[in-house]
Amino acid sequence: MKKLECPICGGEVEIPDDALPGELFEHEECGSQLELEVDDNGKYRLKEAEEISEDWGE
Amino acid sequence: MRIGIVYDIVRWEERALINAVKKLGYDLVLIHILKKPLWLTEPNGIETLDIVFQRCVSFYRALTSTAVFEEHGVLVVNNYNVIRDCEDKLYTTLKLVKNNIPVPRTAISFTRESCLEVAEKIGFPLVIKPIYGSWGRMISRALDKDSMLEILEFREYMQSPYLKIHYLQEYIDKPNRDIRAFYFWGEVPAAIYRISSSWKTNTALGASVQEARLNEELVELIVKAGEVMGGGLLGIDILESRDGKYYVSEVNAIPEFRNTVRVTGKDLASMMIEKTVQHFKK
Ligand SMILES: Nc1ncnc2c1ncn2[C@@H]1O[C@H](COP(=O)(O)OP(=O)(O)OP(=O)(O)O)[C@@H](O)[C@H]1O
Ligand SMILES: [Zn+2]
Repeated sequence: MKKLECPICGGEVEIPDDALPGELFEHEECGSQLELEVDDNGKYRLKEAEEISEDWGE
Repeated sequence: MRIGIVYDIVRWEERALINAVKKLGYDLVLIHILKKPLWLTEPNGIETLDIVFQRCVSFYRALTSTAVFEEHGVLVVNNYNVIRDCEDKLYTTLKLVKNNIPVPRTAISFTRESCLEVAEKIGFPLVIKPIYGSWGRMISRALDKDSMLEILEFREYMQSPYLKIHYLQEYIDKPNRDIRAFYFWGEVPAAIYRISSSWKTNTALGASVQEARLNEELVELIVKAGEVMGGGLLGIDILESRDGKYYVSEVNAIPEFRNTVRVTGKDLASMMIEKTVQHFKK
């Protein structure tokens, strides 16, 4: 498990080691939907998940 | 066997598929399409994959990336035509009707006047939908002429030209549920009832779910609807009327299955991979 910072509440979020860029996580403490991304230096960080757009679905 | 999964975001479903490919012992290549351009004029380095599963949550990303891969000779599941025809409710309905699959009575209208003509024929309540979209968004039920005109007025103020195409449909007075069945290459591995006190029973809107046991007539209907839409891996929605008739409501080409796995305990992700591999081995 990796520990990353929640960009919304600043709390800690545990992420499995095999998590992928684009993977969604809910931060249970604050309820935010977060998405894992890799920055330019190859470091993992969390950002607020993309907003649902008109063409999203099944 | 080398298997690719194309995605934009990883939901529960994509994680389950990734784990299933690994568990089954195939080589897995992940294609995160937001990170890299897709070349049209040169290869993208995935041309040697045996099968690629399309799992983008965005319809346009799914359709465009499938077009590129397919034209470069890659086998994509579901294929371009299936994704296109299922996303477009108009086209889904037309294809089903042409093949004698029961669907609610439906028309499209571009103006209020012609909507009124449809209402006169079908009566109220009437369901008004956009031809694109999912998760029950922008789907309304007009109980009478006044509420229909109000719904149309809202839609006319929307930016998107698609929302100005009104897909009008007979309201099926179903019990407090509809059926979501899965179709994997000619088989129906699982189905659930989506139960809600609201007439919209999308789980995205909070419906609860329960395993559904399907009779032979329903299984036959689902298999036929799946074939008509081009086969592959599909989520097929069925409405039951009070007088015991079944109607196909819509077909989903990149279905979500988290809730179905939760209540049926079936490993749908592994089945999706295995059934597809078997299908193309033949
Ligand atoms: N003609 C109809 N009569 C009665 N109920 C309907 C009718 N059409 C749709 N519904 C109900 O409305 C809800 C949304 O409909 P539909 O499945 O067409 O929407 P959607 O946005 O494409 O959803 P999704 O793709 O996520 O399944 C469903 O619960 C369905 O049972
Ligand atoms: Zn948080």
